[in-house]
Parts: sequence; structure tokens; C-alpha cells
Amino acid sequence: MKQFRISNAHGNCSKSRLLPLLVAIVASLITPHTLAKPDQSYQALRDWIDNARPGQAALEAGRHLTIADRHLLEKYIPHTAWEYYFFDDMDMEIATTRHYPAPDNWGKNVKPDYSVDETGTLIGFTGGGYPFPEIDPNDAMAGQKVIQNMLWRPGANDYDMPMVTWLRSEGGKLDREMEYFSVNATYAKGHHSLVPGYEEVKSKQVMEFRSPRDMAGAKDMSIRYVDHYRENSGWLYMPEQRKPRRTLASERTGELMGMDMIREDSNGFGGKVFENNWAYLGTRKVLATNNVLTNPEFGGPHLWVPHKTRWEVRDAHVVLIKPKSENHPYSARIVFVDAETYWTHWMFAFDRTDDQMLRMNQHFLKYSEDYATEPPAQAPYIKQDFNKSLGHKVFLHLGETDINAKKPHATMTHCFTNKREFSAARAKQFFSLRNMISGRR
Amino acid sequence: MVQRNHVARLLAALFAMLLPGLSWAIVKIGDDIELEGFVKAYNIVRTGASFLDDADLTHQRNTAQVEGKYYFLQEGEAFGFKTGPLEEATFTFLARGVYDSAFDIKDSFDVLDDRGKEEYKVREAFFDFIMPPFSLRLGRQQVVWGETDNFRALDIINPLDRSWHGTRESWEDIRIPLWMARGIWDIGKIGTLDESFLEIILIPDDFQANKVPTDYPRPWAFTGIGLPVPANTVDIGGTLYDLDLTLIDSPPERSELRNMQSGIRFKGIWNDIDFSFNYFYGFSQTPGVRTLSAGIANPTTFATTAEIVYPRINVFGMTANYSEDRYTQSVFRLETTVTKGIPVGIEPGAPINIDPDGDGFDTVDQSVVMLAIDRPTWIKPLNRLRTFFLSTQFFWRRYLDHSSHFRGSFYEVSEAPGAPGRYLSVNNDKLDQDEFVITFSASTSYGGAGLWKPLFVLAYDPRSTGGYTKLQMEYLYSRNLVFKLEQHLYWRESGDDQGPWGLGSYLAEPPYRRNETAFTVTFQF
Repeated sequence: MKQFRISNAHGNCSKSRLLPLLVAIVASLITPHTLAKPDQSYQALRDWIDNARPGQAALEAGRHLTIADRHLLEKYIPHTAWEYYFFDDMDMEIATTRHYPAPDNWGKNVKPDYSVDETGTLIGFTGGGYPFPEIDPNDAMAGQKVIQNMLWRPGANDYDMPMVTWLRSEGGKLDREMEYFSVNATYAKGHHSLVPGYEEVKSKQVMEFRSPRDMAGAKDMSIRYVDHYRENSGWLYMPEQRKPRRTLASERTGELMGMDMIREDSNGFGGKVFENNWAYLGTRKVLATNNVLTNPEFGGPHLWVPHKTRWEVRDAHVVLIKPKSENHPYSARIVFVDAETYWTHWMFAFDRTDDQMLRMNQHFLKYSEDYATEPPAQAPYIKQDFNKSLGHKVFLHLGETDINAKKPHATMTHCFTNKREFSAARAKQFFSLRNMISGRR
Repeated sequence: MVQRNHVARLLAALFAMLLPGLSWAIVKIGDDIELEGFVKAYNIVRTGASFLDDADLTHQRNTAQVEGKYYFLQEGEAFGFKTGPLEEATFTFLARGVYDSAFDIKDSFDVLDDRGKEEYKVREAFFDFIMPPFSLRLGRQQVVWGETDNFRALDIINPLDRSWHGTRESWEDIRIPLWMARGIWDIGKIGTLDESFLEIILIPDDFQANKVPTDYPRPWAFTGIGLPVPANTVDIGGTLYDLDLTLIDSPPERSELRNMQSGIRFKGIWNDIDFSFNYFYGFSQTPGVRTLSAGIANPTTFATTAEIVYPRINVFGMTANYSEDRYTQSVFRLETTVTKGIPVGIEPGAPINIDPDGDGFDTVDQSVVMLAIDRPTWIKPLNRLRTFFLSTQFFWRRYLDHSSHFRGSFYEVSEAPGAPGRYLSVNNDKLDQDEFVITFSASTSYGGAGLWKPLFVLAYDPRSTGGYTKLQMEYLYSRNLVFKLEQHLYWRESGDDQGPWGLGSYLAEPPYRRNETAFTVTFQF
């Protein structure tokens, strides 16, 4: 909440004339909008999770909800996001809540000899399914288990992902637009590795910027390992240097490339389990852009949030994550993870200095099988064959919005994700240090 | 000239075609061709030893650059034909046109006869072929080896164009691309090694030396210490003679196979340590001077003939980097080389065992060790949103077979006492066996979208106590416009030793006056 305070540290000879003037100025600054600004504190979100339960009347599928329906929506949109998601001409289409089958062989290739240690970190798991297909809400490690299901979810990797990102200030002012391309492959597939001999690797990713020109050609390769305790490896190729540079993967808390996210915010939580304290807060029904028609347009007074798109009521696990480090910028992070698909829908992170919201992200997803009947938009700079996505039975990431409430500023991304299956030989060549020693120029 | 006009017309046509459709993105022509580039106006004002004292415009360098890529073979298919194991192929080019309008503004540049005023070049043009596990790049290109930033240890394959602003520019823009073949065999895992590959480069006949201007008043002309004039006199036993100097430039013959340059690198990862072993067989891009003859030709003239030579070098190198995430949260970088064949001068009158040929020239062995630390670091009082990227490098260069009679390339020019218009040169640049320099840089970004990007650079020679500081602020103003303001400062703590690195306050003073303020406007697409 904004606070206004009037002080007069000087003599009082003009006090009688100045004070009414100041009061008048301040009163004019406190607009109804300011007064109505919702509480974005950590406690307010905890209260919403505990108390604002939806009633018996479900949201009716096919209906377009507007600002007039805010009283209904407040039960399904996390309290901390109201500031951005409720606006005058808002339009949310409600879709039927569906069941989305997992890939046909999901869970059948899991090597059974894995465990969790005292921090909740997964030991010995090599993929092929969820490590914890059932979540017991009374389990002291339920929070860690939900997040590790999220980290090993189907569809998390194995894609071509052209992206466009917009960075906007308040009022929708476009500060920067970026185009980049991510290619990602799962190595750890349960009983086997995509590339024999690379059993220690969980996944590899190469991401390259296309524009603007001051970033074009910059590319990054990162390797994640099956052993969660082993730090990721990373290299950055900068065209200006014409060579790769080793990066420090353990620094995950600084904003990236001017965007309103930190590496640890990736998909709600991209950090290390053992660096945090965990609590499972149960399940909540939330509205999520879970299976959108296509990459949503952005609306609201600042063009920060998805608009005129399809929302679905989903059951979500709610996980509270508190960084152990006193130097971490967050005091807490609350993540809403889909209870069926384990994709993250909402993430809220709170500033360590005052427990007010610092950052949030919200994700746009699409089920691969729906590409057949309602294919998403093509990227503006490359045309893909979306038929390659059919049959995988996974969700694909179509984008997200990341908001920094303190700046305030937001980063909106459209992902034009298409499934890709790598052969062992191609993966070995593509995700290699050899591929990082030269680039676009 | 004909080629220059063709390139200029090509650039002009491209810009005329592209300007209407400029956007954030790369310009696409069809499905397979992409273009990007920029137009840049770069203005440099040099100042005196005091900040902004006696300002003097030295550069108004206007650059247009176009970079293109043609993806003519993708997923094993080109022009409707299957290409078998050849999976991908592209053609890349980078063309640059430069016009420095300072040459038309400053009367004092008239004597240069437009040398350095314009440049029109296709700088890079190469084909990439990928046929896993092999890849090949053929054409005019840059190849960068090593872990150092802006230091010549293993990054010596391409020479540098130091003619217009020394080494103060991004080396990407001042490396001289060479015609070469670069082949890589991607090995992957082998024994305990991961991500390993073997790289071979061949430069059949494209030797070029570093470009260093000597034509004063070009602002970065190499004129020695003291007066910015060439020596025309020698002093022998107290008698002044006119100097008649004949210089013969003897670069390696281009067409001879024996003058091929080549290199090999093996790179891999062992226990999270990313390492490489390198070998380069080339020519020294910094020449030496061998005296062929010298003597009193007539009662008033001393004649000497000298040859500019580029000796063969053998460079053996090793690099390593390691990301230490637990205790220091830093990336450590190491680069070390031993180079055989570095040219040095020998002072006149040196003992015969030091200069057996009596030609004032020799080649020696030199080692370089570089240790660096990179660390993204939170300095929250200065930036609550983003880390500072701090990078420190420590260099130690050592002449392995050193002599106190060795001389470097700095010479001092002064007017002969009582003889106006007659200038003497003396080489007092005694090479130290061990040379050190430390660099430090810090960068971060500010603003909602990180559009304000400050950079601080420091270089310091602990022996001469000479230093250099660069302060820079870049502002990404809009989708196409980027502004940059820089200040370059040269300084020293004490003494008057010039040192070997081009650092120190003498560079702030006449005739150099290289304390510069630069302002750049870039229009990018």
C-alpha cells in the first residue's frame, strides 16, 4: 500500500497556509484506483489460499467473464494478481475442465531404485515418469515432491521453441522486443539415456538470440544433471567475443537480459531443492490459461496480462518455498502447480525486505493433441510443421507473463513450441561445446 | 577502386531496400536469407592531460555494416536435392563501409592524402558445412582461441588493425579476417573426457601483419616518444650526419606453400574443467627490424638499409576454465603459452654472443600466463535488481632467454642540440624479462528493461605504475537507436617508465593526447 505522510520540519509561520494546500495536492493524488489497490503482501495471499474458497457454483464453461463478474473470479485468481488481471474491458472465456492423458509410456520406464534424502532432494531418479505419482498431503515432503514432479513433468523438454518477448513499462510502453530460439532435449529417459554414455545428464538446452541486433547471435548452452546436487553447467557465446565463455550456473537470483525474471523463477521454480525450506499448503482451484486456443494477446492498462483468451479451472497443488539464504531476494515463493499435469500455472515471490510481492509469473499452455484441430500461431520469423507435436500427449509452453511489482515492469513472452525428437547422433552433435565455439557471426 | 565502388553501391542499395521495413527483427528475404546490421556515427574528441582541456576532434567515423546469412542447405536437403550425410550448410557475409568525415573537417589532416579516410570491404565471407561429426568453415573469417579478453596470447590467429584507434575497439571489429579453412571433428566422450573435439585450421597463403599507422598526424599514429617527427639525423662521436634510411618490407611470399600457417586444438572437459591444448605455426604479425648495412656513405650522410622481417613463430598453449559454485561462486580462467620466434631488437654495440650477426635483431622465446576470475556479484546498494559482472585478469609475460641488451619498439625522438630541424632518435626501451599487467572490468544494467548499461574498465601495470581507465554508458534508447558515451583516461601513480603495455600518463600528454571522450549513435536493424 502506498503511504502518504506530511511533515513540516521548518518553522510554522506558513503552516496554516501550506497545510491545506498540501492536503489538497495529496488528496488529488490519491485516486480511487490507488485506494482500491489490493494488498500484495505475502500474508494476504496466504489468507486468500486459506479462506477464499470457491462456492458450489462452478464457473460455467463457454461463458465470457468480464469485470462485472469480478466477484466470481476473485475466488479463482490468486489475490496477489488482482491488481493486474482485473481491468475494465477484461474478457476471460471459461473452458470445460478436462482430463489430459499423459504420454502412452509415461511411468513405464522408471527405474525404481530412487529415494529422497533429508532435504527432500531426489536421489537416483533418472526420469521416464513422475518420481511421485501420488502426493500425500500429510507427507512432510509433499512440497518438495510436487516440485520434483514439476521438474520431471512430461513435455518439459524435447522441443523447438522460437520465442518473442516484449518488455513493457506501465501504460504499455514498449521498452524492448526480443526474438530468440530455444532447443531442448531430454537425455534421462528412465531406463536409458538419449545418448548412450551420457547417463549423468538430465537435459541439455541451447538458446540463441536473433534480435535486436545488439544481442543477435548470443547463445547459451546449459546442461542439467540427473544428480540434483551437481550444479548445472553453462557456456555463453557472444558474437562480440567470438568464443564461448563459461558461466556461473549457481547465480540464479539476478534479473536476466533486462527481463523481469530471475533464472530461479523459471517455470515457477528453477532452483535447487536443498537450498530452500518447504511447506505444502494443500490444493486450490485456480483459473489457468491451461489449454489456450493460441498465443494470447495482452491486455489491461499496461498490456501485461493475457486477454481475450481461454481459461480453465484447475486443481493446483500450492507449495510454499522459503530460501534458506539470508541474501536471497525473496522471503518466500508460492507456486501453484497443476495437480494432474504438474505444469506451473502461477508463481508469486515476495521481497525479503517487506514481504510484499516482488515478482510473479503466469503461464500459457496448450495440449499437444489439440494442435490437430486448433493449431497455435506460427512464429513471425519461422514456419514450423505442428503435426510433429501430435501424438506426444504433453503440454507445450506457449508463453508467460512475468511482472516485477516493485519496478513496476513486465515481460511477456510468446513461445511457438513444437515437439522435436532428437536422434542420439544429432543430439550429441547439436548440444556440444563444439557447437558453441562459433555462431551467427 | 572499382571493387570499392561496387561494395559502396551494394551497401547503399541494401540500405535503401531495407530502411522502409526496419523492425526489431532481422530482415528476412524469402525463407532462407536473413540480414541485419547497423549504421553508426562515432565521434571522438581528444583532450589534454586535464579533463576536456584543449579538446580536438580526431574521429568522425561513420560506419555502415551489413551482415547476412543464407541457409541454403537444411535438414539434409538443398535446392530440392537430398544431400546425404551433409545435414546443414550456410553462407555468411559481413560487409562494412566506413567514411571518416574528420578528414574533410580538419585542415591538419590534409597532409594525410585521405589515408584512413575510407574503408569499403567484405570483411567476412564463409561457408559452413555440417556433416556430423565433422564441420567445416571455409572462407574469410575470424578464429579466436583462448580464455583471455583483449590480450594476445592464443588469440593471435588473426592480426589486428590498430591503425585508427589502437586496440581500444571491440576486437571483433579490428581483427583482420583471413582466408582459411577451419575443420572440426566432434569427438564427444572419450575415456574420462567429455565434450571433446579436435580442430584444425589452415591458412594457405593469407599472411597479414598487424596494421600500425606511422603517418602523423593520424591520431593513433605510432611516432615514438617525444616529438611526432621521424628522425633524420644520427650522432656519431659528436658529429651529426644526415640519416639515409632504406627500409625493405619482407613479408612472407603469399603464393608459396611453405608459407602456409596452420593450427591445431584439442578441447574437452575433464572433471568439470574445460581445457584445451593448442598449437599454432604461423608468422609473427609484429615485425622485427634487421639491419642489413650501415655506414658513413659520404662526409655528411650516414646510410643504413634495414629489412622488416616477420619471423616464423611456434605457439604452444594450454587453456582451462572451471566454474567453482560452492565457495567462491566464481569462474576461474587460465591461459598459458610458450611462443618461439618473438622478434626483438638488440642495442648497438651489444657483445657478439648476444648479436653474432651484428644485425641488431634476434628471435627469442616468450611465455605468457594469464589467470582470471569472473564473478556475477550482488552490490545491492548500487543495484537491487541485477548483479554486477566483475572480471579480473592477471597477466605475466616473460622473455625466457632474456638479455639486458634487448630493445623493444619504443624510441625517443628529440631535436639535436643547437641544430634546428635535425632530429635524433634513441631507443632506450630496455625490455624487462618479466612484464605484468592487471585488468578489471565491472558491468551491470539499470532501468526497467535494463536499457542503461554502464561499464568500467581498468588496466594497470604494477611495474611502471601506468594505468588506463574507461568509463562507458550505453543507452538502448529505442528499437533501433543506441547511444554510447565513453571516456578514456591514461594515468600513472609515479615515475616515468613507459612500460610495455601502452598504459600511463605519457599517452595523455602531447603528442598523443589520448584522453578521449567518445559519443556514438548507432542505428541497428
